[in-house]
Amino acid sequence: MKALEVTQATKRFGGLVAVNDVSLSVNQGEIFSVIGPNGAGKTTFFNLLTGIYPPDEGRILLFGKDVTGLPPDRIAKEGVGRTFQNIRLFGAMTVLENLLVGMHIHIHVPYFHAVFRTPLARREEKRAEEEAKRLLEYVSLLHRKDELAKNLPYGEQRKLEIARALALKPRLLLLDEPAAGMNPKETEELQAFIQKLRDELGITIVLIEHDMRLVMRISDRIAVLEYGSKIAEGSPEEVRTNPRVIEAYLGKGAAGGAA
Amino acid sequence: MNALSSLLSLAYLGLAFLAPSPVSHLFGLAALGVTAFLRLSPTWRTLSLALLTLAFTVGLMRSGNTLGLIGLVGILVALTTLPRIPTGIRVLLALAILLLSVPLAGFANTFVFELGIQIGIYAAMALGLNVVVGMAGLLDLGYAAFFAVGAYTWAIFGSEQAKNFLQGNFPLPGEYMYLFMGIAIVTTALTGLLIGLPALRLRGDYLAIVTLGLGEVVRILANNLDHPINFTNGPQGITPVQRPPIDWFRQLMATLGVHLDRTTDYQLFFYFLVLLMIGLVVLVNVNLANSRFGRAWVAIREDEVAARSMGIPLLPTKLLAFMTGAAFSGVMGVIFAAQRTFVSPESFTLLASITILGMVILGGMGSIPGAILGAAALTILNLDVLKTFSEFVRISLPQIPNQVDPAKYERLVFGLILVLMMIFRPEGLIPEKRHRAEMEEA
Ligand SMILES: Nc1ncnc2c1ncn2[C@@H]1O[C@H](COP(=O)(O)OP(=O)(O)OP(=O)(O)O)[C@@H](O)[C@H]1O
Ligand SMILES: [Mg+2]
Repeated sequence: MKALEVTQATKRFGGLVAVNDVSLSVNQGEIFSVIGPNGAGKTTFFNLLTGIYPPDEGRILLFGKDVTGLPPDRIAKEGVGRTFQNIRLFGAMTVLENLLVGMHIHIHVPYFHAVFRTPLARREEKRAEEEAKRLLEYVSLLHRKDELAKNLPYGEQRKLEIARALALKPRLLLLDEPAAGMNPKETEELQAFIQKLRDELGITIVLIEHDMRLVMRISDRIAVLEYGSKIAEGSPEEVRTNPRVIEAYLGKGAAGGAA
Repeated sequence: MNALSSLLSLAYLGLAFLAPSPVSHLFGLAALGVTAFLRLSPTWRTLSLALLTLAFTVGLMRSGNTLGLIGLVGILVALTTLPRIPTGIRVLLALAILLLSVPLAGFANTFVFELGIQIGIYAAMALGLNVVVGMAGLLDLGYAAFFAVGAYTWAIFGSEQAKNFLQGNFPLPGEYMYLFMGIAIVTTALTGLLIGLPALRLRGDYLAIVTLGLGEVVRILANNLDHPINFTNGPQGITPVQRPPIDWFRQLMATLGVHLDRTTDYQLFFYFLVLLMIGLVVLVNVNLANSRFGRAWVAIREDEVAARSMGIPLLPTKLLAFMTGAAFSGVMGVIFAAQRTFVSPESFTLLASITILGMVILGGMGSIPGAILGAAALTILNLDVLKTFSEFVRISLPQIPNQVDPAKYERLVFGLILVLMMIFRPEGLIPEKRHRAEMEEA
């Protein structure tokens, strides 16, 4: 069973075909990258996977289950966590609360128990809080737990967003440009962290990334989008030497820089 | 500096006792300002606040002047917001004000009870609306509709009105009011569902307009459902509405040494009932705020897309916020109907909705003490300050024409306050603090 199986997905915005007949599949436990020039449709592709937009055509299977057209909250419940290209934390909530929101579907407190804060509600809240703290420890943000998310420095916001996605206990984690704005050292730490997630937690990871060094080092396989269409797919080596990919990136020098 | 505030407080205590007059009460308010805003050591500040509590109470008892009530509200605000006052003292002083000072003042001037009850009812509603607007970020301009549904739920069955369409022994006896507080939770939550289902699919301004419209629909229904079958008695309203019997309360008070007369007994009873309800409403508010539901509401307010990607379903979560807010309002509606013994559509106009919203905004969106303070401030302003000011103008400055009577400019003053707030303190009087440190439980 594949973690993700997309067949002939298309998404149009008026006349613009943002995602054009894209098919691809991701194996369980894989680190899979989606690359492509600006405006190629990578983020839109993620938005199709997470139900933010339903695809105009095509089908999406998550771990063998057809989720085409389901709303984002249902897809999240299928075990898909994600981060956003332009960080979308809950700014007015604390770091800890952000994680607790991430754990929303795993906190089982019926409404009336919450209203009267019954022993059951207290127990569940306490358990959730402990778990959130452990997760914060894991991403070394525990010392920030009571700060408002919006007050964190950029790098920590990125980390927190990943932690929030992890709080959902995802089977599949989608990261949209996680290394954006990071210096080489931070990027290296990020690479180690992503690999740790896969190796220790067994999470399948799909990432969109412009940093070719990171992509080439970390990915098991890569798909390349251009103008919404998939123009190549394969191992880092195959993609790097693919003439169409070189053409797509030519003039930007990105493919050369990656070598 | 430290001694000054206590000295001023002491001076006011003397004035309140010997020469209670508007001027001396204004002096007391100034002393409170000094205590609250100057840099003082916690001990001196606590001492001054205690002295002022006593002084305002004495002032109220001796003159019945509601400036004293404003002072007490100010002290409550100081107790909730100022740092480094021992928690025990905060609680003790607050309880003394709510349970002793206000009732004592009420015996001197029953209008204080009236104000206290109104503030309480509106505060509870502001707390309900705070869930909807403050936490979940849903702009609801028809909130008074739920207040109306709650009020009519009891008014119809707690009066002869129900005889018009039902067989049976109406009015129901007064003690049924307690049961109807529960029933009103159900009827208003259902109304919330009915209004919310279509409205909550919309966002922002659209939601505001649609809730405004549907809120008006409820009022207009109340106005017109006197024919073909007379459910609501139309614009005349319903009266008399039963109150619960309070012999037990009179006896209880008598054993405590308080002998109540016929005008104050119900006032005191409803004052305590409303106080109890506020306690409950605050408790529920805090509980929800620190639960997965409260967090989901805030998450939706902060970022819908991110919230949905965390597995939070949009419509059900918004509906829940809407119905919760509605239920708070409904319960207070029942109490309102019983306390007034009279219900008519006039109490549930758009202006009422906007006033409650104004209380939430004035106090600080999402802030629990803020909502209560907002309710106190606007209620006192509407019912007391502007009226007193009008009277002052009429008596002292008779050359000013009738048309500029300040009481007629309630909405203008109200609007001005909101505009000034938006300019100088857009986060509200007591902004929401999302710090949980003090919520930590062992
Ligand atoms: N909601 C939308 N409405 C209209 N057009 C959109 C929408 N979202 C994306 N687009 C368009 O779709 C195309 C693909 O955008 P997308 O954000 O998916 O690109 P991307 O590959 O993520 O680019 P980048 O590397 O800059 O993040 C762009 O031309 C964009 O303008
Ligand atoms: Mg993008």
